[in-house]
Amino acid sequence: MVGGFSILLWIGAVLCWIAYGIQYSNDKSSSLDSVYLGSVLALVVVLTGVFAYYQEAKSTNIMASFRQMIPQQALVIRDSEKKTVPADQLVVGDIVEIKAGDQIPADIRLLSAQGCKVDNSSLTGESEPQPRSCEFTHDNALETKNISFFSTTCLEGTATGMVINTGDRTVIGQIASLASGVQNSKTPIGIEIEHFVHIVAGVAVSIGILFFIITVSMKYYVLDSIIFLIGIIVANVPEGLLATVTVALSLTAKRMAKKNCLVKGLEAVETLGSTSIICSDKTGTLTQNRMTVAHLWFDNQVFVADTSEDHSNQVFDQSSATWASLSKIITLCNRAEFRPGQESVPIMKKAVVGDASETALLKFSEVILGNVMEIRKRNRKVAEIPFNSTNKFQLSIHETDDPSDKRFLVVMKGAPERVLEKCSTIMVNGQEQPLDRSTAKAFHTAYMELGGLGERVLGFCHLYLPADEFPATYSFDVDTMNFPTSNFCFVGLLSMIDPPRSTVPDAVTKCRSAGIKIIMVTGDHPITAKAIAKSVGIISANSETVEDIAKRLNVAVAQVNKRDATAAVVTGMELKDMSPAQLDEILANHSEIVFARTSPQQKLIIVEGCQRQDAIVAVTGDGVNDSPALKKADIGIAMGITGSDAAKSAADMVLLDDNFASIVTGVEEGRLIFDNLKKTIAYTLTKNIAELCPFLIYIIAGLPLPIGTITILFIDLGTDIIPSIALAYEKAESDIMNRKPRHKRKDRLVNEPLAVYSYLHIGLMQALGAFVVYFTVYAQEGFRPSTLLNLRVEWEKGYVNDLEDSYGQEWTSYQRKYLEWTGYTAFFVGIMIQQIADLIIRKTRRNSIFQQGLFRNKVIWVGIASQVIIALILSYGLGSIVALNFTMLRPQYWFVAVPHAVLIWVYDEMRKLAIRLYPGSWWDKNMYY
Amino acid sequence: MTKKEKKSFNQSLAEWKLFIYNPTTGEFLGRTAKSWGLILLFYLVFYGFLAALFSFTMWAMLQTLNDEVPKYRDQIPSPGLTVFPKPVTALDFSFSMSNPESYRGYINDLKKFLKSYGLEEQKNLTNCTSGVFFEQKGPEYTSCRFPLALLEACSGVDDPKFGYSTGRPCMLVKMNRIIGLKPQGEPRIECILKGENTAVLSTYPSNGMIDFKYFPYYGKKLQGSYLQPLVAIQLIFDNRNDINEVTVECKIDGSPNLKNQDDRDKFLGRVVFKITMRP
Repeated sequence: MVGGFSILLWIGAVLCWIAYGIQYSNDKSSSLDSVYLGSVLALVVVLTGVFAYYQEAKSTNIMASFRQMIPQQALVIRDSEKKTVPADQLVVGDIVEIKAGDQIPADIRLLSAQGCKVDNSSLTGESEPQPRSCEFTHDNALETKNISFFSTTCLEGTATGMVINTGDRTVIGQIASLASGVQNSKTPIGIEIEHFVHIVAGVAVSIGILFFIITVSMKYYVLDSIIFLIGIIVANVPEGLLATVTVALSLTAKRMAKKNCLVKGLEAVETLGSTSIICSDKTGTLTQNRMTVAHLWFDNQVFVADTSEDHSNQVFDQSSATWASLSKIITLCNRAEFRPGQESVPIMKKAVVGDASETALLKFSEVILGNVMEIRKRNRKVAEIPFNSTNKFQLSIHETDDPSDKRFLVVMKGAPERVLEKCSTIMVNGQEQPLDRSTAKAFHTAYMELGGLGERVLGFCHLYLPADEFPATYSFDVDTMNFPTSNFCFVGLLSMIDPPRSTVPDAVTKCRSAGIKIIMVTGDHPITAKAIAKSVGIISANSETVEDIAKRLNVAVAQVNKRDATAAVVTGMELKDMSPAQLDEILANHSEIVFARTSPQQKLIIVEGCQRQDAIVAVTGDGVNDSPALKKADIGIAMGITGSDAAKSAADMVLLDDNFASIVTGVEEGRLIFDNLKKTIAYTLTKNIAELCPFLIYIIAGLPLPIGTITILFIDLGTDIIPSIALAYEKAESDIMNRKPRHKRKDRLVNEPLAVYSYLHIGLMQALGAFVVYFTVYAQEGFRPSTLLNLRVEWEKGYVNDLEDSYGQEWTSYQRKYLEWTGYTAFFVGIMIQQIADLIIRKTRRNSIFQQGLFRNKVIWVGIASQVIIALILSYGLGSIVALNFTMLRPQYWFVAVPHAVLIWVYDEMRKLAIRLYPGSWWDKNMYY
Repeated sequence: MTKKEKKSFNQSLAEWKLFIYNPTTGEFLGRTAKSWGLILLFYLVFYGFLAALFSFTMWAMLQTLNDEVPKYRDQIPSPGLTVFPKPVTALDFSFSMSNPESYRGYINDLKKFLKSYGLEEQKNLTNCTSGVFFEQKGPEYTSCRFPLALLEACSGVDDPKFGYSTGRPCMLVKMNRIIGLKPQGEPRIECILKGENTAVLSTYPSNGMIDFKYFPYYGKKLQGSYLQPLVAIQLIFDNRNDINEVTVECKIDGSPNLKNQDDRDKFLGRVVFKITMRP
């Protein structure tokens, strides 16, 4: 992730070893200091690398454990024996048997089938059961009825088939390989960190080279120049930052996992925050993924049914006699049944055997009427004609539960126009009335209205057979149809839809206010898609498509100015004929877009189109068909419950509760971590100048070295680590969900004001403060600042053992060395004390610290305590360990830098005040990072 | 689509040109003249303030110092031992008896160092009582005389070549000055030859005695005329026709508060040096 730093540190390490090599060739007894330093640098690189890898691996492990690998079994006929073998051992030509509930173990061509229906949702995303038989019906393998695909499930019936493709050659395997063929691009935060590394490395390398040239031209030995260069590199590279950023990201990842967003790669944590377009799948993500009764029409009125997740309050008028008849038809003309043994499960969560519409009707009637199975038992079914696509109706004949009424009841449901054809009367308020033109018109209006809402409409009618013609012993034959199938009495219409999740509209509004454009991409019908889009707010209430405007103004679609329409509904067919430029135009000019009837490839095209708009695109999806788009997206979001394994492995993030609203959490966390990383980096960069200045002053003014490279490492990897992580816990300064997503090119993680403010303002102030401590220590021990100037050469000569200080005393070289280490410690403490102030000011970028609350983020105080404790241990606990170059520092020196720390705080408060007072001013532009 | 088209060279050149000077906005290096002016003004003021602040803090810090005595003397509790002439690269002196050029630097060094010990220079100094500390209360401070005659053959009075021309080179050994230091016991500098003895070592004054009267030292400001006690050693080589190489070790001895053994500080109360003489 921060490869650039590693390279710089490797260069530093190699330079150390080269320096030792030169020293050794000159003097066999030269000290091993540079070797140690080089090894420490190499160790830092290796350890931070291992740490980052460990963190990454940890979050990948969550994924691995999440994916339950259940070995799939297949029933295969081999050597005229039925055997159960693992699915991966199937070969082309094997004959396999399938029954309801099985997962299809390979792509198979059906040889025989009995009432077989499959659920292709893992392939197409639509969970409508599809009948399968052994007839060849279409040239396209995906459309023909005699092929079942690997990983789809058999819902009912049985079938026998021959394996035609296995493994990667199956249709699903091909989609998966299409997904793996899509290259994974860099994450936005990855790009930002790279940009930041470039800046820091650029500063390090240019200062390094500049001073190398200066030192060489000042006639320093090359060896010395190399050692200066090492110091400059070590001072400039924030060694601890890689670990800090990794920890900050994984903290956020953990927080998001708690809120049901499981992030696979750490860097993906931030991506949602910078997302500007979400391409959302409809089924399952925005909707509940189950058909639900939404509207009823009887007595010439439309009634609204409750479609919320638990169906709890059905408030429509149930007193009409028509409703009594309608509810009877709904209950009786239905083959769906609850699976046994679910007494304690709430109705809406019970598993049902039957297709989606029948399930919806069953649950609807169970909620309103109570025990449906009991009602069916009392009205014994004597004959039935199941639904088929030629009849388009379903019919059953029942005895009535009224012992005095010996008539049979024929109930029928089906496509409304088909049902109406069979009717001669219509029931209004419980009374049969002849079906005349006005009632027929009312029916059509209602039918069109409900259909226009994108709902699937069913018609219901019934007929009481006269008891004299059809006595109780009458034998009904469904093949010869020895009973009337016309002159029914029409009772009502009922429409169903896969309703939106109740949390989605709110989440969409939040995304909107956060400046995120939501595009719906679905395989469903445009009308349904548009209806759902309207109900969740993807198309807002008062916006119109070109077609809507045309309809309102009563003009042709071509005459409407496309710019007038804010919304657009584009079908896959239209998309197929579009050039990329046309697609770009649609994406750019319409703020509310729905793509319907799209194929997996088209999803990919849409994502690419969005990315051409410089947008950071999130894609949600659950089916295998979504996986290429998930992979192509800047962040792919898969559904944890309904999502297929392929989708989950292609995605960067998994929503454990399949809830679109969790995305909002992700956006919020992502934006927060971006802001907080800014603070962390600003905090970390600041002290680089305070670490660098000593080397520059040392070279130019010839002072004894104020801070050693080892000491710098103790700041970067010791005192500063916990505080910079603590900034990741900082709360947002303002409502981050009310601002636009950041612009990929303009709102950088590390921008010019951040670097300039950290380096040239606070960094410099820190350096001055630390120098004051340094000069104080030297002066009070006998070396006044004036004496120190240009003392470097004499100071460092090992054989000069009578160096005179400002008071005439003479120092041996080791006594000077010890004083130098005291100076290191003093400088270290100076930086540490001022880093506390730096940490506090970095809590906010715009607000005053007092607005943010000094004590709200407790972790900051843990960080400050850790800084002080580590410094105390280094100075007093390890003071005697010579290799670490720390000495015991007089207690009063710890307070010398405190005024400077206060000054830093005051200065930053002034900066923030001016930014708040004069937004948009020159100051704001140059000082706000 | 994943591959970004590389910018052509001309394009990036044009971008750079636009960055350096943008005629439409009048921006030079990304800023307008006004913006540059404000930036420069700001940094002038800001850095001016910082410089003033730093100068003030340093001034205030210097005010807390004592001109005469440093605030702390804890880091030099015990003096180091050094030799004259000053070593050039390491404590390794070599010369050729017959070549005056090879030892001229040493002689000049010794002369320069002993200049302040000249009779004329010591005229205003005090003759102190031997064997007791020369403690003063001020306000005027004076220093004790150190007669060069104590160094006998190495005083440079009789032999301005300090014996280098005759194969009897002189070296001076001195103890580092430390303000307020009062040696205990009977401090003396003892030098011995290490390894093969191809020479005879003489010490002046004999036994390398250091008199208490030169202590304590009151610092450069109060006691500018201070002369630290010296001990001279002279090596007399047996065989002057051959290359002679000897290692000499000197130590402060006889005083419990003057350390001469420290693992880390090789010059604390001791010094080891090598002399090579060629004919």
